[in-house]
Amino acid sequence: MSPPGRRETETLIEAATTAWRPRSPSGEIRAHPAWADLDVAGRLAAYEAARRLRRLEAARDPDGLSTTARAVLRRLGGA
Amino acid sequence: MTADRAPALDLDQPLPRIAAGDQAAFAEWMRGAEPCIRDSLRSFAATVDVEAAVQETLLRVWQVAPRFVPDGRENGLLRLAIRIGRNFAISQLRRRRLEPALIEALEADAQAAEDSALAPARASDPLLRRRIAECLRRLPRQPGRALAARLDRGGFEPDETLAAGLRMRRNTFLQNITRARKLLAACLERHGVDLAMELG
Repeated sequence: MSPPGRRETETLIEAATTAWRPRSPSGEIRAHPAWADLDVAGRLAAYEAARRLRRLEAARDPDGLSTTARAVLRRLGGA
Repeated sequence: MTADRAPALDLDQPLPRIAAGDQAAFAEWMRGAEPCIRDSLRSFAATVDVEAAVQETLLRVWQVAPRFVPDGRENGLLRLAIRIGRNFAISQLRRRRLEPALIEALEADAQAAEDSALAPARASDPLLRRRIAECLRRLPRQPGRALAARLDRGGFEPDETLAAGLRMRRNTFLQNITRARKLLAACLERHGVDLAMELG
């Protein structure tokens, strides 16, 4: 299989920056499928992009919470 | 506008309420702790999905918080969280049977970075929040809709669902997010926001 092109890599990175994550049948949070398809450089880029995004999300949120924190709170609420 | 790190901040203040099961107190703690936990896992970013590790760590901290006994030093729960996150990342690597020497090297890197990760985030800056809101309003329609969906529901719904709700294909949705992020960054910079300082 040939490596993904630049545009495909950008799409994978963008996909991996969401705070949504699949769960295993036992409820453990799993890696995003797009993250698994990225090479090392892509994973590092996704980490940095997600890091900046979470700070942006927290900065715009009246309670200072990112989508990561909101996702965790929802899990605590039983969702 | 201010930098988002304040070394003097002790996140342990809501600890008794967290131990008593107060989710609002835990949210208050997460506000400062989440960026630190994420930063502490940077050395694993090429081998572990850090977003999944951060969320799993936060859930585990919530579970163990009622039994946590502070040692008298500040940010005790955060230090525990960083250890939980690191152990979770290492368990993921062991499960995938990575070379033990590589795992040890990554663990050593993470331990070395622990002190610099222990500077909790401050509460958000109202002026920065206003600037972000202004720049979000100025985004072109489709990138604006895509980014708003991610910001509002990104932690709860996969992109496929968000894209379908906007009648976009997934790839179009992701391209709109990329475009929106670039336009937003440019707008904030035009308004004098130092992105490197404010968003790291």
